[in-house]
Amino acid sequence: MLRIEHLVCGYGGESVVRDVSFRVGEGEKLCILGPNGCGKTTLLRALAGLLPSQGRLELEGGDLRALPARQRAQRLALMSQFSPASFDYTVYETVMLGRYAHQRGGLLAAESGADRRIAEESLRRTGAWELRDRLVTELSGGQLQRVFLARTFAQEPRVILLDEPTNHLDLRYQVELMDTLRQWAAAGGRCVVGVLHDINLALSFADTVLLLEEGQVMDWRPMAEFDLGTLNRLYGMDVGGHMRAALRRWS
Amino acid sequence: MKSAARMTALLLAALAALLLGVGIGSVYVAPGDILAIVSGRLFGTPLPEGMPPSYSAMVLGMRLPRVLLAFFTGAALAVSGTVMQSILQNPLASPFGLGVSSGAGLGAAAVIVLGLAGSLGGALLPLVSLGCALATVFITVAVAARLDRGMSNVTIILVGMVLSLFCNAIMSMLASSSPTYSQRVQLWQLGSFSMKEWSAVGAVAPAAALGLAFFFRFARELDVMTFGEEQAQAMGVDLLRIKRLLLGAVALLTGMAVAFAGVIGFVDLIAPHVVRRWFGAAHRRVLPASALFGGAFMVLCDLAARTLTPPHEIPIGSITALLGAPFFLYVFFAGRKRR
Repeated sequence: MLRIEHLVCGYGGESVVRDVSFRVGEGEKLCILGPNGCGKTTLLRALAGLLPSQGRLELEGGDLRALPARQRAQRLALMSQFSPASFDYTVYETVMLGRYAHQRGGLLAAESGADRRIAEESLRRTGAWELRDRLVTELSGGQLQRVFLARTFAQEPRVILLDEPTNHLDLRYQVELMDTLRQWAAAGGRCVVGVLHDINLALSFADTVLLLEEGQVMDWRPMAEFDLGTLNRLYGMDVGGHMRAALRRWS
Repeated sequence: MKSAARMTALLLAALAALLLGVGIGSVYVAPGDILAIVSGRLFGTPLPEGMPPSYSAMVLGMRLPRVLLAFFTGAALAVSGTVMQSILQNPLASPFGLGVSSGAGLGAAAVIVLGLAGSLGGALLPLVSLGCALATVFITVAVAARLDRGMSNVTIILVGMVLSLFCNAIMSMLASSSPTYSQRVQLWQLGSFSMKEWSAVGAVAPAAALGLAFFFRFARELDVMTFGEEQAQAMGVDLLRIKRLLLGAVALLTGMAVAFAGVIGFVDLIAPHVVRRWFGAAHRRVLPASALFGGAFMVLCDLAARTLTPPHEIPIGSITALLGAPFFLYVFFAGRKRR
């Protein structure tokens, strides 16, 4: 459903991502892997429309770049790294802001019954319902990321882009967050494209892996056909050996 | 509903502040008499018997315009401060940081030092300072956009600061070069509502009301923007366009306030913080509440400025800080413990 062809983007006239092409199907979860500075985040920001880019960027045949901001946000949402909230909104108000792209603007803009129902569903789905009257400034990192995930769901996108959403989270919250996203993606007409720093988390979450090396696609294939040895070359170390050594401590 | 009750309480408090401001002075006029005079003027109702005829002239001719100007100036500054803090996601941001005050100050200083303060029936000074305020903000935003196409907040804050310091330096040089006028420049800098006429109210009041309505229209965008610029864009906010619109409106509104009342600090900084403690962060509530709080606070500060050391007036800018600092600390820290 998501189709990227010959994508080029970068900063200040210098291309960081060069000639990247891939597709993401319905229900698919694609993870982008690669060492620091390979262009993962730049690619993700271009997909989110935060960065100008050249090449094709299509969702179900429609050009994503031609859409005005609100319409793009109805299709594509971004779930970012953890960053603390600095203004005293309640959890409910925060999740309701996810409805922004679907609401009409103007002096008398008001939230509809449908907005409230969707915000409440999103709160329940992420297990944040009990937090709804708390202030976002009082929450722990794990709780706050759940609230931001609820806000992302409330946006009702077709595609969720993940920019290292599990950074700074405890292991339990990481696993919970990815489980919730997995269920979301399975509901039909949806897909996820993610940058996850933790290779283990990425490999357990992804159906498809895209390896980036210096801004270009080094490998792109389903998890089932993926040769883990490729990672050793990409990261310039024995990734598998490192993982196995860690695992031995548990057995 | 709790916030509706609080808003009503704040509205009543603002009305009380207005009545106090008009009533207290060399001669005390009771609230009932003030209302009778205003209603007599507006609806032609008869004045109460036994009320000295001079009251009417004093209230309508001197005190009411002064108090209303203070109210609308306070409201304009408080609303501008709220918007700036949200756009720049910085609790220390204020419209003065964009260079509004120093630009206006430079313009005013030039007019005063050239001995032209009385030209155009006194209208030249506010016109030039408003023009210079807008020009400074325009330069700040243009330079920031040039340095950084995304106009990030840090760039805007830094450019605004540098430009402010630059304008201040020229203003100090101008003032010190002309000993005759240097005191007037300094006094203008500290702000005052004395000797203001209805024409000033006629300029600042509609600006404050329109400004509030304009920002209220963007309440939801402001809410989304407090969570970060990238996030706001990804949530559907047309960031660059809205940021320019809002910054321009802030410059215009603050510029109007500064042009007529001089540079009055502190209200723009504290009003949003105090109001957020009471009403939460949603701009649908914070914007009108800031206007009411900022207006009422300014009226009370002006009352203190003219009644504490008669017949001398204390510059209003020093009163806002003097009363504002302890009040701010009280509300901020008391609220923090409770919540």
